[in-house]
Amino acid sequence: MNPRKAMTIAFFALLLGIGYLSMNAAPVLSDEGYSYHGEVKWQTNYSSAVETAAAEDEPVVIYYWTTWCTYCEDYNRNVYSDPAVQSELDEFTKVAVNLDSDSESATRLQQRYNINYPPQHVIVTPEGEVLTRIPGYAAKDDFRSYLETAKQRYQAGQTANGTSQSTENTAGRLTEAAV
Amino acid sequence: MNPGTILLALAFLSGLSGTAILARSYLRDDDAYLSYVPKLTAGTAVLLVAALAHLTYQFINQDYTNAYVWENTASYLSLLYRVTGVYAANEGSVLLWAAIVAVVALVASLSRGFPTRRGKLIHAFTVGLVTYFTAMLLLQSPFASVRTEFPNAPPGFVPTSGQGLNPLLVDPYMAIHPPVMFISYALLTMPFAIGAAHFIALFRGDDGLFSAWIGSVTRWLRLSWLFLTAAVALGGLWSYTVLGWGGIWAWDPVETAILVPWLFLTATLHAVTNYRPGGRYRILAPAMTASVFALAVYTTSVVRSGVFRSIHSFADGGIGASFLILMGITTLLGVVAPFAYWLLQNDDSDDDAEAAAGESGLAGWINRSNLLHLAVLLFGLLTFVSLWGLSFPVLRSAMTGLEVSVESRYYNLWSFPLVLAVLLLLGFYMDYERDGLRRSLISLGVFGLATVVGAAVAPSETWRLASVRPSDAFVYQLVGNASALSVLPPVAYAIFGTVKRTGSRIAATTSRDAKLKESGITLIHVGAALLVLSLPFMYLFAGQASVMATGVASGAVDTSQRDVGDSPYDVRVLGYEQNEFPNNPEPETYALSSSQVLTRGQSLNTSVQAVHGTVTAIREGPQATVVQLDNSQVWVGVAGNGSVGIETGQEVVARGQVMWEFVPTADAIVLAGPQTIGPADDPPESVVPTRVVANGVSLAVYDEDGIVVSGVAGQREYPQQGGLQVRDVLIDRGPLVDTYVIAGVSDGTASISVKRVPFVTLMRVSILALLVGMLLVLFFDPRHGVRTSASAGTSDRRSAQQTGSDAGAVQEVSD
Repeated sequence: MNPRKAMTIAFFALLLGIGYLSMNAAPVLSDEGYSYHGEVKWQTNYSSAVETAAAEDEPVVIYYWTTWCTYCEDYNRNVYSDPAVQSELDEFTKVAVNLDSDSESATRLQQRYNINYPPQHVIVTPEGEVLTRIPGYAAKDDFRSYLETAKQRYQAGQTANGTSQSTENTAGRLTEAAV
Repeated sequence: MNPGTILLALAFLSGLSGTAILARSYLRDDDAYLSYVPKLTAGTAVLLVAALAHLTYQFINQDYTNAYVWENTASYLSLLYRVTGVYAANEGSVLLWAAIVAVVALVASLSRGFPTRRGKLIHAFTVGLVTYFTAMLLLQSPFASVRTEFPNAPPGFVPTSGQGLNPLLVDPYMAIHPPVMFISYALLTMPFAIGAAHFIALFRGDDGLFSAWIGSVTRWLRLSWLFLTAAVALGGLWSYTVLGWGGIWAWDPVETAILVPWLFLTATLHAVTNYRPGGRYRILAPAMTASVFALAVYTTSVVRSGVFRSIHSFADGGIGASFLILMGITTLLGVVAPFAYWLLQNDDSDDDAEAAAGESGLAGWINRSNLLHLAVLLFGLLTFVSLWGLSFPVLRSAMTGLEVSVESRYYNLWSFPLVLAVLLLLGFYMDYERDGLRRSLISLGVFGLATVVGAAVAPSETWRLASVRPSDAFVYQLVGNASALSVLPPVAYAIFGTVKRTGSRIAATTSRDAKLKESGITLIHVGAALLVLSLPFMYLFAGQASVMATGVASGAVDTSQRDVGDSPYDVRVLGYEQNEFPNNPEPETYALSSSQVLTRGQSLNTSVQAVHGTVTAIREGPQATVVQLDNSQVWVGVAGNGSVGIETGQEVVARGQVMWEFVPTADAIVLAGPQTIGPADDPPESVVPTRVVANGVSLAVYDEDGIVVSGVAGQREYPQQGGLQVRDVLIDRGPLVDTYVIAGVSDGTASISVKRVPFVTLMRVSILALLVGMLLVLFFDPRHGVRTSASAGTSDRRSAQQTGSDAGAVQEVSD
């Protein structure tokens, strides 16, 4: 057999082998309605998660991640794998949003809480009011204290910025002053 | 129609007519109107460059009548970052790309012309491509009026401040990375045009044109490799300083996407070296030449179309679809056409001829041409690994609905053995040329065995390439458990073989150019080997430790020297600084004067504006206060009773909705509130929004020998842009080890991490070696160098005739 032809055949065999093996060996990130990060199971359907949260009367923690974010890997390795964090997280409804996802609900959740880089966590009430935010990476002790703060605020019925802005029509009063 | 759009439209017309004349002339073999083509090519290039210059000028002058300018800049930015705004999003990037391709087409037409029929086809492709880009720009213009963003604003409305530049782009590396990348992509259009024209000629029963253009192809490919290498390197160095990852490579989709054309371009350069007119590689070399550009377009589609979104996909929109169409066209011409030709023409005449001339047995297998073929295949496999990693999650999710993750492990563990194989092959190839088959086979055996032994010997767990889980696939377990020691024998063999061969080659020649070219080849290959050496160690032996400093903001911080975790470092916090930008800017830069308000008149009605002026009268009513500016017909109205803290004669700024002819006694009234009016020398936050908040701790890091690095580390936050944070890291670039300090400051507490990243300088040096080496080869190659071709003038054409006449008898050339 012609050497170059033999090498080329071997090349294609290897190529197919790598392609097939790697595709099947890739860890499953999410299946029907769930995604997995460092032994913690997160829901991916926000609206059904909110129903659960409302029924159980617990806050929702939304985790924004991507496959290529190195601090997300740190979360998997150092934070979510920690039993103390896991038991703390049991008192929350957990939703994970892949920032690379183009789905409508993921985009809406990104825009609603103004998220543009991974990793970030936003802890909200079942109604969607922000309790607290965890921008970037927080080591497990800090992470737990964020969870604690959110839980206390939730129980006390507070939100992160409780002030409401009322709009006022100033036109009438101005006219009066100007003349 | 604004001047920018007119320039684009003229460029489109000029490009379109040039393409049409060339296409007609090629199809009919009729040179009518052909004399216009050089002028049209030059015209297109000049018009596009002028459009780019016009856009740049608008950015420098902060001309917010242009929506694209308004979206991508702000007046607090320095001149450099005003200019980088030009290519911060899709429209400007495509304009930059189009302008560079137009210049490349112009240079090609000036330097070589298109005397032959096929030459016209090549030129038709490049000019056609420019025309396509220009059409994209007309559909989604960088010169669109800002009114598209404010459809309800009155005619003539212009915002007074821009949205700002993507914070990730506010970095010197990012100022040069995109132009360098687009230059390399633009340079790839020439090889693409030549390759595609070659196959079209073949289909039309011609014998193709690749052999006549081989010199051009080689030079264009080398030049784009030079720029692409620089672009990949600049991107890596950018992520090292800006993202705070502490490494240069994270396999994020866009990093991977620029690596794909780089790997394939490297493979193509080797394939072109192996090309013999009419002989071996007569299909593969032109096919690869044509497809590099198709891969580059695929890359761009990945970045710009939003198929795979990541940190780089700054914008999405219609340009994505245009790129997908372009991807289809380039794939058809660059990949499908050669493949179809190969299927139709599958005869092995060249191989038979070579086999007859060649030796039998092992020597028939091992010769330089076959080894080079193996190198091309291995680079092909490396390209495939990266390409597949980008593509299969999408495929699999589309097929099964399962989302699978591609971790960096996938890329690292599959690429590692391939890279070692490439290095061993390099060593063997060089060794074989110098010492012959028997001796080189023995060295290959020794180094190969050393590699296997090295993989099995791990002095400590740190040396293992990856931490594997029991559930992992067998391949990951095998490669992941291998020791980084295995990288040393292949690197040593490659360097040793290359240097030894260069020594003998340089001794054998008297030509200065040949010597310089050999040095270049050596620098590239030694540089590549050192690069491979640096990478695994940079990641495996990076160490990190952190320490918290409390009370930084209140000044109660402990300023004594203290340990950083269990690392060999100590840190001393010296102080804290918070800076905000813009810092009390001049009112003229962000607010309208009363006369400007009156000049713009009705066009400002109901829009929210900042104004400034001197207070000339104050009238306090029971429910509101009004303030006159500059004794003019412009008044500021403040709702609420009581004093607004403003005195007559004071210079003030205010922000609010402008109401034109709203009250009988004033032309314009600005509806402000107590929070949105204040003295000009201390403007309220709501009038001049803070764009950047830089928090940092100044600190010094020590090891046992004394101070290592000192300075400010922290982060910059962009409150107006979604609170995006960018790291300010502190790096000491040591010969062996970089000390890398990240500090996160929030709520008065600084969390300081000190990383030790080994071998970064080795990596920097190896990249420099790649670049300098390629420069030497590009200029001094005795056969295809820029210098040689410039001095020989029409050498390409002459050598083509020669090679055409004695195709089989071309001597084995050295590369």
